[in-house]
Amino acid sequence: MRDPESSSRDTLTSGLWPDYRHWFTGAVVLLISLVIWKIQGGETVFPESWISAFPFADKVNEFDKWMRPVLQPTTRALGAGVTWFYEYIVDLLIFTQWQIVLVVLVLPAFAYGGLRLGLFAVAVVGSWLVLDMWDAAMETLSLMCISIAFSAIVGIALGIAASQSDRLEMITKPILDTMQTLPAYIYLIPAFFLFGLGAPGAILATVIYALPPIVRLTNLGIRQVPVGIGEAATSFGATTIQSLTKVKIPLAVPAIKLGVNQTVMMALALVVLATFIGAPGLGEIVLRGMQRLNVGKALEGGLAIVLMAILLDRVTYAMGRDPQRTDQGRVQIFHLFPQSLETFRLIRYIESLIDLVWRQIGNAGRAVTQLIALLPCALVRAYDADMGIKIHKLLLRHAFLIASLVLISMMLLLDAYTDVFANFPKAWEHRFRTPVNQYMDVLVTNETFYAITTGIKKGLYFGLINPLNTFLKGLPWWYTCLLFVGVAYLVSGRALALITFVGLLFIGATDLWAFSMITLSTVTVSVLICFVVGVPLGIMAAYSRAIDGILKPILDTMQTMPVFVYLVPVIMLFGGGQIPAVIATVIYAIPPLIRCTTLGIRELPEEIDEVSHSFGASVIQTLMKVKIPMAIPAIMIGVNQGIMMALAMEVITPLIGGKGLGLEVFIGMSTASIGVSLQAGLGIVLLAIILDRISQAWTKTQREAMGLS
Amino acid sequence: MKSTFKAALAAVIMSVGLVSGPTAQAGKRLVLPDLDWTGAIVTCRTIQWVLENHMDYKVKTVSMPGGPGVWEAIRAGDIDFYCETWPSYNPIKSEYLEEYGGDGSLVRIADTGIIGASGYFTPRYVIEGDSSRGIEAVAPNLKTVQDLNQYKHVFKSLESGDRGNLIACPEVAWLCEDQERMDGLGVDFHAQNMGSETAHWAEMQAKYKRGEPFLAYAWAPHWIFAALDLVEVELPPYDEAKWPATNWPQDICFKFGSPASIEKHPEVVALLEKHRLTNDQQAGMIYEVDVNKRDVDEVVAEWMEANESVWRSWLP
Repeated sequence: MRDPESSSRDTLTSGLWPDYRHWFTGAVVLLISLVIWKIQGGETVFPESWISAFPFADKVNEFDKWMRPVLQPTTRALGAGVTWFYEYIVDLLIFTQWQIVLVVLVLPAFAYGGLRLGLFAVAVVGSWLVLDMWDAAMETLSLMCISIAFSAIVGIALGIAASQSDRLEMITKPILDTMQTLPAYIYLIPAFFLFGLGAPGAILATVIYALPPIVRLTNLGIRQVPVGIGEAATSFGATTIQSLTKVKIPLAVPAIKLGVNQTVMMALALVVLATFIGAPGLGEIVLRGMQRLNVGKALEGGLAIVLMAILLDRVTYAMGRDPQRTDQGRVQIFHLFPQSLETFRLIRYIESLIDLVWRQIGNAGRAVTQLIALLPCALVRAYDADMGIKIHKLLLRHAFLIASLVLISMMLLLDAYTDVFANFPKAWEHRFRTPVNQYMDVLVTNETFYAITTGIKKGLYFGLINPLNTFLKGLPWWYTCLLFVGVAYLVSGRALALITFVGLLFIGATDLWAFSMITLSTVTVSVLICFVVGVPLGIMAAYSRAIDGILKPILDTMQTMPVFVYLVPVIMLFGGGQIPAVIATVIYAIPPLIRCTTLGIRELPEEIDEVSHSFGASVIQTLMKVKIPMAIPAIMIGVNQGIMMALAMEVITPLIGGKGLGLEVFIGMSTASIGVSLQAGLGIVLLAIILDRISQAWTKTQREAMGLS
Repeated sequence: MKSTFKAALAAVIMSVGLVSGPTAQAGKRLVLPDLDWTGAIVTCRTIQWVLENHMDYKVKTVSMPGGPGVWEAIRAGDIDFYCETWPSYNPIKSEYLEEYGGDGSLVRIADTGIIGASGYFTPRYVIEGDSSRGIEAVAPNLKTVQDLNQYKHVFKSLESGDRGNLIACPEVAWLCEDQERMDGLGVDFHAQNMGSETAHWAEMQAKYKRGEPFLAYAWAPHWIFAALDLVEVELPPYDEAKWPATNWPQDICFKFGSPASIEKHPEVVALLEKHRLTNDQQAGMIYEVDVNKRDVDEVVAEWMEANESVWRSWLP
């Protein structure tokens, strides 16, 4: 007869086991690791003989030395061509009167986004003038335009090709996947060594970096055209080419435009980053400002970049939507201010006034177009009445374009023959760097402030970074390898285990083990902080509309900002060093975590609330016991993105004192050793791929276990 | 439809180009490095000022850390001239300059006029104390680098652990070899890179203000010696055979360029041959830029206008 007590204990333990299995295995692994760490004592050393047997950097440098005379004439000639083109455009923008350039730049915003976006564009372009950053902004814009043009041409062509051939799609897909896991900075290394300093390297790197979204979306857009439409085209006797160019591609245009929109944001990020390889523009102002601890200057440059990012995003987004008909009388008056302010009479008056002016301008534009249309239409009508009416209609439909062209031509003529256009008045220029710097001086020398920031720094250093660092560095390399390979095998399978094994061996054999452990601990600590701060924020946003309303625009802006703008506030408040590097990484990597958490909780079916409520669970209980566990896969996606972003940041933070593999990349670049920077860069890429694949595979198994697809 | 809009815009931009046209001649363009320490920036800008204001050149600057990267960039033709090289920091000279046994793929043009000296320094209060600030002498017998080991606990920091901390050369690209020097001399110190020149001086000033002991790398000509009361910690005299476990030699700074640039811009070479800046002149401008936080171009322009006879003598 069985003892009832023991059988109940049996069921108890067997009930506990599946619930806490993960925790239990985790604890055991941690315990074993600690014991091994204690036995090892001191830092782990990768076998010297293995390192000397694999002189990767030296070989690359040798190859580079041998390669340069062979390859350089070609790449340099190509680079010179790109440079010529780039300088032509920059000169055009800089030497043309600013009023004309301003009009040319803001017109697309008016055309696609209407008055509101147009006015925003005027404010943004005007800010470059006011901040005295016109030349730098023009340089950045020129780099952007050239890179995006190339990227769009190549990307659309590749996307169309991939949509036509399944085999090509099979080949491009993994390449694009890998490209999107690579940190942006990695693209600069080969570009720098092939094309040298300045614009050409920056443009080449940007073109390649910005390709994936456009290839992907073009391919997708064409493939998503319903089969029936293609068949209909064929049945009407269209050839494959005809059905592609006349039917499918036009239908895929919205997707392609979305691709261009994403490309623009990526291009801006890299163009700013390319300052590291001597590319001119706004990024240089930020970089210089940071290097000279001229926080005010860096802040000004950062602001100009952020404004440019937002403007480009909005304009390309507006281009992707249905065009706003500016030539049809709109009943609704223009809203410049939030609706809530419209209870004030003054605000209403201002808005009606602007609206009136805007309409009059529209009327004037149409009148001018009518006038211009008069003569050619009359001529054509003399031969063919129908044709005349058609052309008249066509011209009127493009009233905005024609009026703009007239305006620009008039300005050009005026500029060529009169002196009406003066330079931008110095009195209108307004830099705020000096007050910012003065304020910073006061703040930084303030004892309380110093105590707080040093407290945070010390706490992070002694509490998290340093222990983890010593621990990871102290774990024997073979043990760490075994752990990673084991996890990879368990969550995914043999292939991933092999990749992990080879990747870690490469890192060890290139003598980067210690550096990669520093990187690993920085990334771990950053993502951990992101998790601790981001998940609660995400949960709050999922429950409260108000918090969501505040967070959304902030996160939107954060995600459009180029990476190293994030360094500015950090260096302002915390100075340089390894801890500020972690803080900058946290700020950069937190948005996806907040977003995914909110989304994960929101997308759960509503019945869950009712069911758990009917079982008597309180709101808190429902959240903790039901919703959060169910949202874990979504949160994990956020963690995955956070890890990727933290790794991308690794290469930027050496600028403010970050350490690890990123610093090695930096050292290689600034000492002209491609071998050193390439092997450290590859180290980061390998870590990125390993961590990405492991966390993705794990998320997938989790989702499957929960019955989500 | 909208592509027509774009095409038309592009056409307009092109026509703008035809009307106004890029004005600068292609031959009168020059690329100079914008290096990462104020002294060299000032030197380059004095040359740039003359080129732009009196020789009709259009100069483009590229931000770069001084070191092998710039040498490679000049050799590859990305940059035309280097305005201020400190020979002892650039072992790469023996690869490219004939004077140092190199292959002649780069050519030395003339001295810059700056005579540099580098070393390790500590505040006077560390050795002698400062009764007015209530600071005790924590390392009274510190004279040479060899004395440092007995005081290493005094100089330790967050990152150096049990070893002493040296606020070392801020930029890795400068190849100061501080850690190698310390190790070679048997001094148990950790070399900390602050990452930028400005951060380096800021760290020194902050520690000085708090009266904390520190050991830091510094070089002359520089205003830091006027701002802080520093004492040099002696290194063994320069010996090429023992490098880097010795002091730096005196650095007679010079300018160089690639043979292609020299051939292409004879007037610029003539200017570079005559251009000289003394330590004092440079230090004055560095002070204005670093301490008074003024714009480099503004400071240089002001100095040039005040010293017309100096730059007139440089003109070819």
